Amino acid sequence: MAIEFTVSDTAGNPWTLSDHLDSAVVLTFQRGDF
Amino acid sequence: MANRHHEFLDRGGRVFAISADTVPMNAAVVDKLALPFPILSDPDRDQVITPMGFADEKDPREIARPGVAIISPEAEVVYSFVGRDYADRPLEDVLLEELGQLGLEPTSQPAPELGSIEAGEKAMPYRGLSPYFRGAKFAGLAMRSRHRDLGEDFSGDMQAYIEMIDRYLEALRGVEGRRA
Repeated sequence: MAIEFTVSDTAGNPWTLSDHLDSAVVLTFQRGDF
Repeated sequence: MANRHHEFLDRGGRVFAISADTVPMNAAVVDKLALPFPILSDPDRDQVITPMGFADEKDPREIARPGVAIISPEAEVVYSFVGRDYADRPLEDVLLEELGQLGLEPTSQPAPELGSIEAGEKAMPYRGLSPYFRGAKFAGLAMRSRHRDLGEDFSGDMQAYIEMIDRYLEALRGVEGRRA
């Protein structure tokens, strides 16, 4: 099972995985500062 | 991935990028590249980057390794790829094949909402990206040509690198289209 987690979206709003599982979630990890 | 975003949606998958950068830095990247999906922020890497095995422990900047995880509606990780370095990323065709095997209905995804925007100190301006990638490609072509004697492992890695740069250049053409 995937872990439950909460991070921030690009507006600063909390984003929780379980709130978005009405579809599949494709998480693409980025190195950042691009 | 942005250029083929609709193909992910057609297979029932919404795309979310994630990095250890701040919210304003991520908003700057979404704005710069006109991304159709948000970049989520896990600045301490303790929410998802490290727990899911994507922390780059060798890099002093405390960043993530490039990679992708696909999570089904049943909250199962059905696919995970953790890249060795910045040039090691899964092909979109592979991701779409994995996603398609879930047999989901098509979905939609709202455009990302942006708050304050503040690019990082090392962020490359948009106008510099195309010359940067072209230079990276030519360096790869030169190294592949110069070191043909190093065997198939090296030539295969170089070919994959050059093809990755070609995909980045194609992705930049997509940015122009989304901005138009």
